[in-house]
Amino acid sequence: MKITKPTARSAGRIFATLLLLGLIALLFSACGTDTPQNTFATKGDVAHDQRTIFLLAMWPAIGVMIFVEVGIVLILLRFRRRRADEVPKQVHGNTRLEVIWTVIPAIALIILAVPMLSILFDVGRSPKADAFTINVTGLQWQWLFEYPDVKDANGKPITLAGDPGTAPSGHANAPLVHLPAGREIKVVLKAQDVIHSFAIPRIAGTRDAIPGHEEVFWIEIDEPGTLHGQCREFCGFGHAGMTMTVQADNDTDFQAWVREKQQPKGTAGTRSGSPAPSASP
Amino acid sequence: MATVIGQRQPTMAEALRAARGSSYEGIWSWLTTVDHKRIGVLYGASAFFFFLLGGIEALLIRVQLIVPNSGIIDADAYNRLFTMHGTTMIFLVVMPMSSAFFNLLIPLQIGARDVAFPRLHAFSYWVFLAGGIFLNISFFTGNIFQGELGAPGAGWFGYQTLASKQFSPDHGVDFWLFGLQILGVASLASGFNFIVTVLNMRAPGMTLFRMPLFAWMTLVTSFLLIFAMPVIAVALFELMFDRLFDANFFNPVAGGNPLLWQHMFWLFGHPEVYILILPAMGIVSEVLPTFARKPLFGYPFVVFSGIAIGFMSWGVWVHHMYTTGLGTVANAAFGISTIMIGVPTGVKIFNWLGTLWGGSISLKTPLLFAVGFVAMFTIGGLSGVTHSMVPSDYQQQDTYYVVAHFHYVLFGGAIFGLFSGIYYWFPKFSDKLLGEGLGQLHFWLMFIGFNLTFFPMHISGLLGMPRRIYTYSGDQGWDLWNLMSSIGAFVIATSILVFIINVIVSLRSARRAGPDPWDGRTLEWAIPSPPPPHNFDEIPHVHARDDFWHQKYTEDEKGQPVPVVAGGAVEEDQHAGDGHGIHMPSPSFFPLIAAIGFPIMATGMIYDYALVPVGVAVLFTGIYGWAFEPATEEAE
Ligand SMILES: [Cu+2]
Repeated sequence: MKITKPTARSAGRIFATLLLLGLIALLFSACGTDTPQNTFATKGDVAHDQRTIFLLAMWPAIGVMIFVEVGIVLILLRFRRRRADEVPKQVHGNTRLEVIWTVIPAIALIILAVPMLSILFDVGRSPKADAFTINVTGLQWQWLFEYPDVKDANGKPITLAGDPGTAPSGHANAPLVHLPAGREIKVVLKAQDVIHSFAIPRIAGTRDAIPGHEEVFWIEIDEPGTLHGQCREFCGFGHAGMTMTVQADNDTDFQAWVREKQQPKGTAGTRSGSPAPSASP
Repeated sequence: MATVIGQRQPTMAEALRAARGSSYEGIWSWLTTVDHKRIGVLYGASAFFFFLLGGIEALLIRVQLIVPNSGIIDADAYNRLFTMHGTTMIFLVVMPMSSAFFNLLIPLQIGARDVAFPRLHAFSYWVFLAGGIFLNISFFTGNIFQGELGAPGAGWFGYQTLASKQFSPDHGVDFWLFGLQILGVASLASGFNFIVTVLNMRAPGMTLFRMPLFAWMTLVTSFLLIFAMPVIAVALFELMFDRLFDANFFNPVAGGNPLLWQHMFWLFGHPEVYILILPAMGIVSEVLPTFARKPLFGYPFVVFSGIAIGFMSWGVWVHHMYTTGLGTVANAAFGISTIMIGVPTGVKIFNWLGTLWGGSISLKTPLLFAVGFVAMFTIGGLSGVTHSMVPSDYQQQDTYYVVAHFHYVLFGGAIFGLFSGIYYWFPKFSDKLLGEGLGQLHFWLMFIGFNLTFFPMHISGLLGMPRRIYTYSGDQGWDLWNLMSSIGAFVIATSILVFIINVIVSLRSARRAGPDPWDGRTLEWAIPSPPPPHNFDEIPHVHARDDFWHQKYTEDEKGQPVPVVAGGAVEEDQHAGDGHGIHMPSPSFFPLIAAIGFPIMATGMIYDYALVPVGVAVLFTGIYGWAFEPATEEAE
């Protein structure tokens, strides 16, 4: 970059502004894409709500950002020193102006807090009594899933675990987790060793799985499809591989999958909570 | 003054006294210095060295993430690198670099000859250095020649139960916890020193509300330090008991609670964020008025918003823990407090813009970095507002969106602010201006590199990319953003090279900067560059805020500033006295000895308890000698 002349300098600043705007444009192009963990391409009620509140904060934030950044550039151009001996009037402040720019952001933020609280209390409510229950346990380095209300041929809850045999670097290959679409699901989240964090971003944001604590929350999946998630809380060596894949089924398909799991031949006897699970679906 | 050879064998006391010396030359003079300016230089140089280390760690991280499924660095080394990167940048770079500015400037800005406790000052530096070296030595405790690093690998936040003995069995986390403990001692010493210095050592007429804003921010930061460091000290002691003595503070199996750690860590950690950013805010509040030739707009508002941030920073720690299941009401309460801390922060940004408005802005390097601070910190603050929205934070928690956010605050904010301060005050202490051409190149490379690295992280985060994963698969849509981030990291590295070249070239140049190269407003510009050991020949009498400006400019009847005619109060070097008859504290190496005790004790705790009493003995030898040594040796 030519950096010695004032014109080149302002050109550089304009270039930087364009760069920034270009990056913002990229942000929007990215939001539309159908990538596996895109927090904008939501597929469930909780994620819809979370996206709504994010956008509600993001748009004003982008507005303020453009106002401030453009303001900086304009101020620098307009009030650039033109003569070496130039001395401006010594203005020490303007109380009225300062009160205004203290009070207005405060009011704006309080207004923003209202929808935030209403969504927070909805996302944070207890699951409904008729919700479909799944128990999830995080451990180094995989997720275990247990269906307490879906029993196999021996009358035990169906469990799913990864297959440690084929995966690199400590983690287990994720099982395909079937969940019913279109109804509320109650998740009971636990951790066995260290803290993990359960996130399937297109359905719901993360919840921590903390040893000694049981976290209960609801999620909902709009329609059948495949969804991806992975552990968000750093949990050691195999953290990067602690993924999960969810297959959301309509009622018929889900019942079919349940019946298949109930077949005695399916070696469905994996022990819940075992650190060395023995079977994959 | 290293030689103590005499005709007869000197006694121990005599030898120490002789070695103490009073000279300003040679390595001994640096090891024993109690001059706040030299300690400031030591702080700054050490922090810059650690900045390079932390930067190399960051580059290795970015090399590994440049493409999906890369295997350049394995998961184990990667975990240790990002742990050390975070720990280094926070505790060994931004904190001590801020401390360097406190040390260099506070006495000059408030018209004092020294800090309140000069030897405590030296002690705090040496303890910091000992802690920093101790922490980094951990790299070599693994089998490094086979590529096994020994550094801590449980994250800079050390979450339980991952950082327990059971799940992090090697000594890495032990080095981490004792290293931070040692650094905490340094921060406490420095915090107390600056509180007393700012409150008690101000020149006549320098009322609190005539202080430069940097001095205010130093005061607020120092209060935060003395209240925040004990919190993490307690947490680290509990972790020590858990790891070394099988205690169960955080062990859920035995009734402990891993969340207890998070509460204590973030109760420290959130004020810590402001410990990192307030000094840079102070720097920017000095640079903008000087380069706009206009006083800080709304000084009282900026001061009070800084104080407000200091108080409010204690009530927002749960926003690091929204997803831990503390309950909806707790999340709502802390969500609101977090939203509200945005208000005093916003006030500062508007006041900085108000300072520039109507000014005569000289677009020199210090100003560019200061404006870069305002521009980038604004983005970091706004992304902070988006995830103060609790439900929305569930989606961003532990993703790269958060990484983007706090780098906009701590790099785009703190580091840009600190570089602004370096360019601004470098001539005061070296009498050399840093080259303007290279400075501008440095700024633009860093500005572009910074945005290229960290802006795409907003996107990879919103696309669901978790933090702290050593690799990712190519089907997630994250590759482009990571490639951009990695390229940007190398642009930043290039800008740092430019800076280093600039420093070397400038120091060798023959051109002198003189006492007041920027048309400064505060007292430090009224004295020669570099300042004499005693700073002020005569303690100044302060009559106004921006006192030095008022010595140089008066106002005509229309309120337009005009330069004071001929000479005025601008003192030239020859006008200055030679400082005879002013007794400055004599050098002392007892602070250094005392500081050496800490890493010995810590090593003993980790490897062999027999070393612990040795460390204690060294520490007490230092303190004993220090206590009985007169602060000022009589002139002969
Ligand atoms: Cu995990």
